[in-house]
Amino acid sequence: MAYILLGIVLLPLLGSIINGLLGKKLSKSNVATIASGSIGLSFVLSIIAFIQLQSAENRVINVDYYKWVVSGMLDVPMGFWLDSLSSLYILVITGVGFLIHVYSIGYMHEDDGFSRYFSYLNLFVFFMLMLVLGNSYVTMFVGWEGVGLCSYLLIGFWFKNHAYNDAAKKAFIMNRIGDLGFILGMALLFITYGSLNYADLNKPGAITYTSATTAIALLLFLGATGKSAQIPLYTWLPDAMAGPTPVSALIHAATMVTAGIYMVVRSNAIYSLSETASLVVGIVGGVTALWAAIIATLQFDIKKILAYSTVSQLGLMFLGLGANAYSSSVFHVITHAFFKALLFLGAGSVIHAMGGEQDIRKMGGLSKKIPTTYLTMLIATIAISGIPPFSGFFSKDEILAHVYEYNKGLWALGVIASMLTAFYMFRMLFLTFWGYFRGGSELYKHLHESPSVMTIPLMILAVLSVIGGLLGLPELIGAKNWIGHYLDNVILIKTYLGLSHSIEWMLMGIAVAGAVASIYFAYQLFVINGVLPVEDEAELKWWQKIIYHKFYVDELYDFIIRRPIDFLGKVVDRFFEKMVFNGINDSISSITLFLGEWIRKIHIGNIAYYIMAMTISIIVILSMIK
Amino acid sequence: MINGISIDYFILLSAVLFTIGAIGVMARRNSIIIFMCIELMLNAVNILLVAFSTLHQNAEGQVFVFFVMTVAAAEVSVGLAILTMIYRNIKSIDTNLLSNLKD
Amino acid sequence: MTALILILITGVLALSAEIFNLKKVLYPLSILGILVALGLNFVEWHQPFSWKYSDNMVKFDNLALAFSSVLLVTVFLWFLMSKSYFNEETNLVEHTSLVLFSLIGAMLLVAFNNLVTLFLGVEILSIPLYVLAASNKKNILSNEAGFKYLIMGSFASGFLLFGIALMYGLAGSFDLFTITNALSTDKVPNFAYVGIIMILIALAFKVSIAPFHFWTPDVYEGSPVVITALMSTIVKTAVFVAIMKLFLWYFYPAYGHYVEIIAAMILISLVIANFSALRQNNVKRLLAFSSISHAAIMMLLIIADVRNASTVNALLYYTFAYSVASIAAFASIHFVTGGKEETLDTLKGLMYKHPFIGVSLLIALLSMAGIPVTAGFFAKYYVLNALLMSSYKWMIIAAILASILGVVYYLRIALKLFEVDKKQDNGIIALSTREVFLLGLSVLLLIVVGIYPDIIANTFLK
Repeated sequence: MAYILLGIVLLPLLGSIINGLLGKKLSKSNVATIASGSIGLSFVLSIIAFIQLQSAENRVINVDYYKWVVSGMLDVPMGFWLDSLSSLYILVITGVGFLIHVYSIGYMHEDDGFSRYFSYLNLFVFFMLMLVLGNSYVTMFVGWEGVGLCSYLLIGFWFKNHAYNDAAKKAFIMNRIGDLGFILGMALLFITYGSLNYADLNKPGAITYTSATTAIALLLFLGATGKSAQIPLYTWLPDAMAGPTPVSALIHAATMVTAGIYMVVRSNAIYSLSETASLVVGIVGGVTALWAAIIATLQFDIKKILAYSTVSQLGLMFLGLGANAYSSSVFHVITHAFFKALLFLGAGSVIHAMGGEQDIRKMGGLSKKIPTTYLTMLIATIAISGIPPFSGFFSKDEILAHVYEYNKGLWALGVIASMLTAFYMFRMLFLTFWGYFRGGSELYKHLHESPSVMTIPLMILAVLSVIGGLLGLPELIGAKNWIGHYLDNVILIKTYLGLSHSIEWMLMGIAVAGAVASIYFAYQLFVINGVLPVEDEAELKWWQKIIYHKFYVDELYDFIIRRPIDFLGKVVDRFFEKMVFNGINDSISSITLFLGEWIRKIHIGNIAYYIMAMTISIIVILSMIK
Repeated sequence: MINGISIDYFILLSAVLFTIGAIGVMARRNSIIIFMCIELMLNAVNILLVAFSTLHQNAEGQVFVFFVMTVAAAEVSVGLAILTMIYRNIKSIDTNLLSNLKD
Repeated sequence: MTALILILITGVLALSAEIFNLKKVLYPLSILGILVALGLNFVEWHQPFSWKYSDNMVKFDNLALAFSSVLLVTVFLWFLMSKSYFNEETNLVEHTSLVLFSLIGAMLLVAFNNLVTLFLGVEILSIPLYVLAASNKKNILSNEAGFKYLIMGSFASGFLLFGIALMYGLAGSFDLFTITNALSTDKVPNFAYVGIIMILIALAFKVSIAPFHFWTPDVYEGSPVVITALMSTIVKTAVFVAIMKLFLWYFYPAYGHYVEIIAAMILISLVIANFSALRQNNVKRLLAFSSISHAAIMMLLIIADVRNASTVNALLYYTFAYSVASIAAFASIHFVTGGKEETLDTLKGLMYKHPFIGVSLLIALLSMAGIPVTAGFFAKYYVLNALLMSSYKWMIIAAILASILGVVYYLRIALKLFEVDKKQDNGIIALSTREVFLLGLSVLLLIVVGIYPDIIANTFLK
């Protein structure tokens, strides 16, 4: 078993190294085979591991390879931890990852950085597997940092564009803020519970409520808000759409952004103990779900809509985590991976057909030209909107049922967010595929369906989006809710009691009715009345402008965070290093002219001043002696 | 007490000489004089070492003075060599002209 | 101790190479000397050498052996990098012997047991460096760098001496055990504390802790790149061992009198270094500020107040990681610029022009920034881990904030590597096998040590 797990993790790394070092010398088809093949093999091994896990004791396999960090009481092994939770995650990562790799072969075929792209993508999969398979928080953190790095490299993949580089930097810095919380949380966790290894923390009674529990939960959650794009650190994700579309599908929809959910579920004992932390998680998740859904309703860029939709869906998952419905959130992670990856890949296919255009105002009537893409995206849209019996319905419904029991106010947030989801997703679908083409006749001739290497992954994902709900059919209709029971041994403390059947039926009814009503409203607006999004920003009403500009959050951050830091940097740079110590400088030359001889007589910039500054410091220090 | 004079006065004398040297390094622009001022600082320390040596009635301090003198000589000879190169390049040894390296 | 003597012999041989007509073999001879010395260090491990004849002035215990091995590895890598520096026939002999003599000073500093040896170590380490900094004779910037370093260095030496004299006044001896005993008594005259602070100030100057860091950016910028690399590595390693020995062990009875001052100096350093680095366009200057920031982080070990083997391990790991990363970074820059101006723009598009140098520089920068999988991460981690139990826990936050700023400016360099250079005028950079070996070895060390930190971080038993 040890070798199988090692193989799962190291195969992508091997692919990455080969493509990274030799990529330029290999042919494109070889690069593609190595990259997809390594992930494919990894997927096969994951299935084997999954099957073997079923017969393991307690469904947990813990493998230590060697002692990694030993310092004081801290003793962190380098090893892997395969249990119900991580086995599901590795299947999704390698399975969906494999499909996206195959799709990328078609999508990136004309790109100069073909081998570099696959090298990064494989590296990403490696770190993501480290993240979910590591058997301690430290190993998780290594993966956590690694996927951040790969995400940064891939967002800035088309480095020639300056704005893309900025987007990459933004993602990196936002993630670093979150990581600060993660590190502090980890440190506090270690101080409080004396270990960072799952093996120790999963022992019964290892985690009890102390005064630090809430603080640990909140600090770790700060890390999750960075990685999983929640308020207040969500703004990097929409900008991250600068990367190639398959990257958005893999990293910024299906896998990396759900790392925050993985981490919270992994720490579920801590969150279940702290009511305050759970409530904070729930509120942040609920508000993010609604907030991002509102922003999504007025976006024009097809990838931006999907990005905000991802933020909103992640919010929904955190809402579920807040209600301690861990297995439901994991269920939603899986179905979301299917249909959101499909949506992104479909959007990629649309962009491919449109020759790089991403603005839905320039699209329309594409269903006849690219029918496969249309049909698969239709399936995904229905799935995300929560129409039974598609997969999104079951997972979303399960979360909302738990939240209803937990807190009615948060439940209302979730339902409104779901209705808005149905609305903006169908708005996107109608504007893109229905009606008439608005991109000019020149482009119309150019429209073509993508090659089969791209459409086959779409079809597979479409099938999964339809049947994904089978994993967790509710007990209400007499099924077993397989995933709920499967994850039982991971969830250390259970709080869910269950609602009466009549209420569950009612909740389902409300959700479906809300979704159908939203879809009908979108149909009325965009198909029957043929409303088109305005071309000119000036025609927007004031409240629409606020939403269109994403509530000005970026501007707000710019104002309260970036500028003061820039300002401080400038002050220290100019004042201390240049004016005081290093003297007359171009940037203050106007002032210099003003003060003329007086400043020049101070002879700033020479040894005497350095000595003077040192002497003054020495005098101050000597006067500090007790 | 050394010959009836409290050790504090020796420390004071040495500190005053040291400070004069430090002020010289700060205030003078001629590199040669700066070297002289550094010498003054080091020699102020030598006085202190000799005084303590007498106070403690052992010779270690006086031996150390020889080390200090040697090192000071080494420093100054290196310094003068560098100064010669500077003089060759810019025909001056004014420290104010040596402020090309800055932000 | 035999290693020290061997290096001394190599140095003297180098100096007399002209007479014996050894110039051709001087370079391989020096490398051989260093490697043999390194081997001797391993042989002597656990067999402490006490130099009875010189009144316990030096003590080559395991600590000294471990740190002098780090110094020897650093200088070995440095020699591999600096072949071009020894190409000039006229100065070959001087340059080689000066570097070796400077190494002797550094090795004395990790083994001193007496304030006289401390002073001699500091001076033997510094005086050759003054000369080397100014060794680009025709270039006024190099002259200026040497001159500034010399004046400010001697000024700081004055304070070191004054401090040593006052400690002698306290104990009547330069021996550090006697001084520790004298500090432990009830009646300690005030001037002793002044003496300790003056020694602290002088050593802070040598490792460029603010507010005594002024020389650093100027001297780093003006000196030849290879000398900057030497300065930023062996000086830091050697003097930090001295600081640790003095301020965590020998002067410990007076700990309460200086710990707050050190904390204040660290805070000032973190602020000045990281903010100033943000907008630098000269790579050497930027790395100068980065070195100030690293010095401040290493200094945190002193205020963490953990007086056992784990602090020694942490410092050993940190100096090793920092030295190797520095050499790798400076070597990459040296190979790319070839002695011309080192602005950020010269690194533009390096990833495409020469991916091998690009990747090496990137990994060196990642290590300096403390990103996991590289050695830099554990280096920072051990320091912050030590702080966790101290009364300066809040410093962790300052240090982490500083490293976030650090990531920003290392990233600025990293981004340059990926930018496309519009003007394709730069010629192709050709690396010799020796240079490829150097970069490959450094990167390998950084990553292996980053994954298996125990190789180094368990040197001393708890």
